[in-house]
Amino acid sequence: MALHDAAIVGFAETKIVLRSEVDVWTLGAQIMEELLERTGIEKGEIDGLVLSSSITGAGNAFWSQTTADQLGLELDFCQTVDIGGSSPIGALARAAAAIDAGYAKNVICLYADTAVVESGARGRSFSEEWCSTVGYLGPPAAFGLLTKHYETHHKLDYRALGKLAVAQREHALRNPLACEKLRVPITVDDYLNSKMIADPVRLLDCVMPCDGASGLLVTSRKEAEKRGLTKCVVPIGYGERTNFGAARSVVDPTETGHRAAGEKAFAQAGLKPTDIASFHPYDDFIIAIMMQLEMLGFCKHGQGSDFINETDFLWTGNLPLNTSGGQISAGQAGLAGGGTNLIEGVRQLFGEGGERQVANTSNALVTGIGGIPYGRNWTTSTAMILTPNA
Amino acid sequence: MTAMNDTLDVTRPLPPLRTVSKPFWDATREKKVVIQYDAEVGKYQFYPRPTSIFTGRTKHLEWREVSGKGKIFTYTIARRARPPFREHEPFFVAMVTLDEDVNIMANIVNCSEEDMKVGLRVKPFWTPLSDGRNLLLFEPDRG
Repeated sequence: MALHDAAIVGFAETKIVLRSEVDVWTLGAQIMEELLERTGIEKGEIDGLVLSSSITGAGNAFWSQTTADQLGLELDFCQTVDIGGSSPIGALARAAAAIDAGYAKNVICLYADTAVVESGARGRSFSEEWCSTVGYLGPPAAFGLLTKHYETHHKLDYRALGKLAVAQREHALRNPLACEKLRVPITVDDYLNSKMIADPVRLLDCVMPCDGASGLLVTSRKEAEKRGLTKCVVPIGYGERTNFGAARSVVDPTETGHRAAGEKAFAQAGLKPTDIASFHPYDDFIIAIMMQLEMLGFCKHGQGSDFINETDFLWTGNLPLNTSGGQISAGQAGLAGGGTNLIEGVRQLFGEGGERQVANTSNALVTGIGGIPYGRNWTTSTAMILTPNA
Repeated sequence: MTAMNDTLDVTRPLPPLRTVSKPFWDATREKKVVIQYDAEVGKYQFYPRPTSIFTGRTKHLEWREVSGKGKIFTYTIARRARPPFREHEPFFVAMVTLDEDVNIMANIVNCSEEDMKVGLRVKPFWTPLSDGRNLLLFEPDRG
């Protein structure tokens, strides 16, 4: 048994909205219903639930149990994954591990957050003591700091970053579930001229906080075949690294845990970056995409701008990028937002990309980023390689 | 070039009192920079931790006073801020590498946008908090 013995037999996602008009548990119920309808698996057969982090649920130390009870689920395996924006992919990895270990057979991974209308967050980190005293805005400031560092030590072409922003926006135009406010075209000049938030980070570098939910139904390949769910998606490589540089006092913020996470995922999958058919990286800021291209080995550290200028990231291009718009152009559903990148990779391999369907569905690389540490880059980096069931 | 706000008129939130960092904050009352040092490996660390980030052991961890001098590691210009910093933009938020090789986040005062650059030498600038502690900021070291 191994990671590739797991099978994603269903996926679901809600519309991403500026403010949810329904409860976070209602969104969860919608996702569960869609997963059950799609797969024909009965509610009583669901014996595992793995939740992503949720800012709405952050004040409840019993979040996974309470959510399961809301959904009427009696379970053998129940947990919340709390590695921030990395937790949707982390939840899939843990669901596969639980199935592999025999703890559960049919696991729902549920990513739901309505952080805009209802925040349950309460700080207990380094931040109140060491950051709030200096007017640090959190992620935009952190990315301002690391972008300035990158700009100082490497070549950084802001038009190349603009090209990524434009490609993702083109994809959001073709995604009916993307936040409506973002479904308007932009140009590289719009990107360059958008106002500075935390120099050199511009408004169009940033995600917009939204509400929404998504989810997966995961079982074993054997179980999927038994049920005739042969059209499914298989995870074949996974890597996760938390606190890159934790044991050093000064860390280059342009190097991240994605190097280690990517090496592990590629080795496990038996693939290399040039084999990747579509790329769905976690995108809280545009430069994070470029940094992942570098750390995951698509190009060398410091050469991201050139690589971007030489690559076509549209859904019709040679390396389709976040074909649902990514979080930056579809909206960030709080800490469930990583589900947007993950579900799109799964959707493409199911061949359900609609107007934005990519031609090459031999695999997809999806990634996660979660948490912002003190003056480094980000806390958790994940990489997951998916293939259709061959 | 826009003029930078020194943020000295901001009524800053008080950092919570936590046992791990008490020696650091106590020293700020006398405007001294005191940070953790692991005598076994000969390295400093910041922010204060409950153990050595190098060895995971507490027995060689001690507090040492340092000059507080260093240089700009990287910086950003905050154009948007939440209260109480709102209406005080734009201001600098920087990571400063002390000569002892630790990074500290702080505002930079008495510095124009033209003078700011990565590598700029800086020295401590203290601003009072409402409870007698002082907050460590930095200014260009022109001396």
